[in-house]
Amino acid sequence: MTGGGFRCRPSLSKKGPDAVLKLIVRRILLALPTLIILSMIIFGLQRLLPGDPIQTMMAEESDPQVVEFLREKYRLNDPIPLQYLAWVGNVLQGDFGSSLRTGLPVTQMILQKLPITVQLASMAMIMALLIGIPAGVIAAVRKNTMVDYAANAVALSGMSVPNFWLGIILIMVFAVSWKILPASGYVPITLDFWLSIKSMLMPGFVLSTAVAAYLMRHTRSAMLSVLSSDYIRTARAKGLLSNAVIIRHALRNALMPIVTLSTLLFGDLLAGAVLTEQIFVIPGFGKLIVDAVFTRDYAVVQGVVLFTAIGFIAMNILADVLYIVINPRLRHPQ
Amino acid sequence: MTTTEPLLSVENFSLGFGSKIDLIDGISFSVEPGKTLCLVGESGCGKSVTSLALMGLLATTPARITGGKARFDGKDLFTLSERARADLRGNDIAMIFQEPMTSLNPSMTIGQQIVEGILRHKPVSRDAAQARALEMLGLVRMPAPEKRFHAYPHQLSGGMRQRAMIAMALANAPKLLIADEPTTALDVTIQAQILALVSRLQAETGTAMILITHDLSVVAEVADHVAVMYAGRIVEVGSVDDIFSDPQHPYTLGLFGSVPSIGRRSSTLATIEGSVPPLEHMPRGCRFATRCPFADQRCMDEVPPDYEPKAGHRVACWYAPLEAHVRAA
Ligand SMILES: Nc1ncnc2c1ncn2[C@@H]1O[C@H](COP(=O)(O)OP(=O)(O)O)[C@@H](O)[C@H]1O
Ligand code: SF4
Ligand SMILES: [Mg+2]
Repeated sequence: MTGGGFRCRPSLSKKGPDAVLKLIVRRILLALPTLIILSMIIFGLQRLLPGDPIQTMMAEESDPQVVEFLREKYRLNDPIPLQYLAWVGNVLQGDFGSSLRTGLPVTQMILQKLPITVQLASMAMIMALLIGIPAGVIAAVRKNTMVDYAANAVALSGMSVPNFWLGIILIMVFAVSWKILPASGYVPITLDFWLSIKSMLMPGFVLSTAVAAYLMRHTRSAMLSVLSSDYIRTARAKGLLSNAVIIRHALRNALMPIVTLSTLLFGDLLAGAVLTEQIFVIPGFGKLIVDAVFTRDYAVVQGVVLFTAIGFIAMNILADVLYIVINPRLRHPQ
Repeated sequence: MTTTEPLLSVENFSLGFGSKIDLIDGISFSVEPGKTLCLVGESGCGKSVTSLALMGLLATTPARITGGKARFDGKDLFTLSERARADLRGNDIAMIFQEPMTSLNPSMTIGQQIVEGILRHKPVSRDAAQARALEMLGLVRMPAPEKRFHAYPHQLSGGMRQRAMIAMALANAPKLLIADEPTTALDVTIQAQILALVSRLQAETGTAMILITHDLSVVAEVADHVAVMYAGRIVEVGSVDDIFSDPQHPYTLGLFGSVPSIGRRSSTLATIEGSVPPLEHMPRGCRFATRCPFADQRCMDEVPPDYEPKAGHRVACWYAPLEAHVRAA
């Protein structure tokens, strides 16, 4: 995304920011019903699951009086709709409740774990972009050659290889045999930058494979359609050499849909990080939610899922905004 | 033709799409420096493919050059390296395409797209290239050129986009401009303006031009020479006077039949019936034989030799000169 083409020229973009703002507001309004229904589902499903949180918390030899006290305290005896309304009321005030298990505010727990998962998803996204886009470009430029077939085959395996299997293989090779990367665990990026990056290389890669493959295929087909367009012929008619044609003219246009797609895929990565975090014992969002589900820690599960959903919707809105911002046709109306 | 050394001379050029029969079958023509050759013929006869082959832009299609030579400015185009051809493209040979709506990059400004072509070929600073691009926008009569310089293609009308394409093509003062139906996709009202613009700029800069057009009044006005193409062959070529006042090939007569200045012969040969046969059913001899009112078995089987009524005027027909044979028949 370099070059003047994507820079806004103040004189021409008067309508731009306005349109973007309108779009954001409209999308948020459209997302509200989704969020309400989603919150009901999250809340309802939780209550349908077998098992009782207080029981889970207290183990076998619990005192019935204590159990009853706790049930009252967490309002578990109220009718479910009332519980729901109370929860929504609190959420609207920014209070996701407290964990049944640790007593900590859910918001605090989320904010603690979020950076870890965001770091993992970002690493994965960067790797996916670095692998998927060049591979897609090369496959398109070398269409129907061995290189193209190979790229497609690798992409197909990238989509179908199970993450836990790939994770274990990588751990065996890089951590156990060669001992060049840590097998598992997490180092905060503020503590030791390079070690933090290093410890996230394998998890990031494992998480990135499906997205990289997806990006490769989309880049390839976007490039193919752009490469056969009239303006590419014009670019070549100017005598531009093939690298300039491919990068400056073709890739720049092919990337427009890819940018939007990547934003959506980042949402997928955040959600998909759960399993990878399990494989590599990373104490992120995924671990938070898995622990919470197993202990029936309602407030935490609800908070995490709702938070993820909001994040996902935000990514969608961001994707739409980016689409306008990078597309001159939408940015500079006629 | 005259004794001037031609700028471009195409000899026996053939091109195919992989089938046994070549789509373009041994065509020859030449363009003199600063002069205009109009290439006319029904759509599908191979005019665009020929121009793209001369530009070296066929790489994206399955087309293969199967024979012949194209000498341009002392160089043999078809034997040059890809790099050497790219050095010529946009510098010594430029092209304007038929589709102004889609021929400009939607994510770059008009200015960037012109500047880029200048910087590719000329050792000038970016500022100088921008000044030159602005000058070109003025020369092509772009309304409010400074504003359009920063505009994206979608902000321009079809006519303005074609002006931008012309500015881009002429920015490096090429020796040869190939204009492939530059006005077909435009509004009728601006077609004449754009053509007048192209031929004025061409005259001013001394650029030679191959103009592909369907408009015979345009041919009459701007052409020095005319090549008439039918189904991948050039059936008649000559000066504009030769072609308009003394057309020899039955196809030329058919094409020009609707133009009043042709005289008494137009009444009998005004329409061409039928359609071009598919390549695999093309007659071995004269490709026009399936539609020619004079065709006989020899026409079907044997390729007609060139007949030259006078120097520079060449006809590929067994029955040329037509007058003699028509009268005899
Ligand atoms: N990729 C291709 N494969 C096979 N035939 C093609 C291909 N591209 C063009 N042609 C054929 O070449 C012929 C000439 O096309 P073109 O040069 O565009 O004609 P014109 O410009 O004279 O209208 C057409 O009849 C078309 O069928
Ligand atoms: S060679 Fe025969 S078929 Fe061809 S144009 Fe002449 S008369 Fe007609
Ligand atoms: Mg054409």
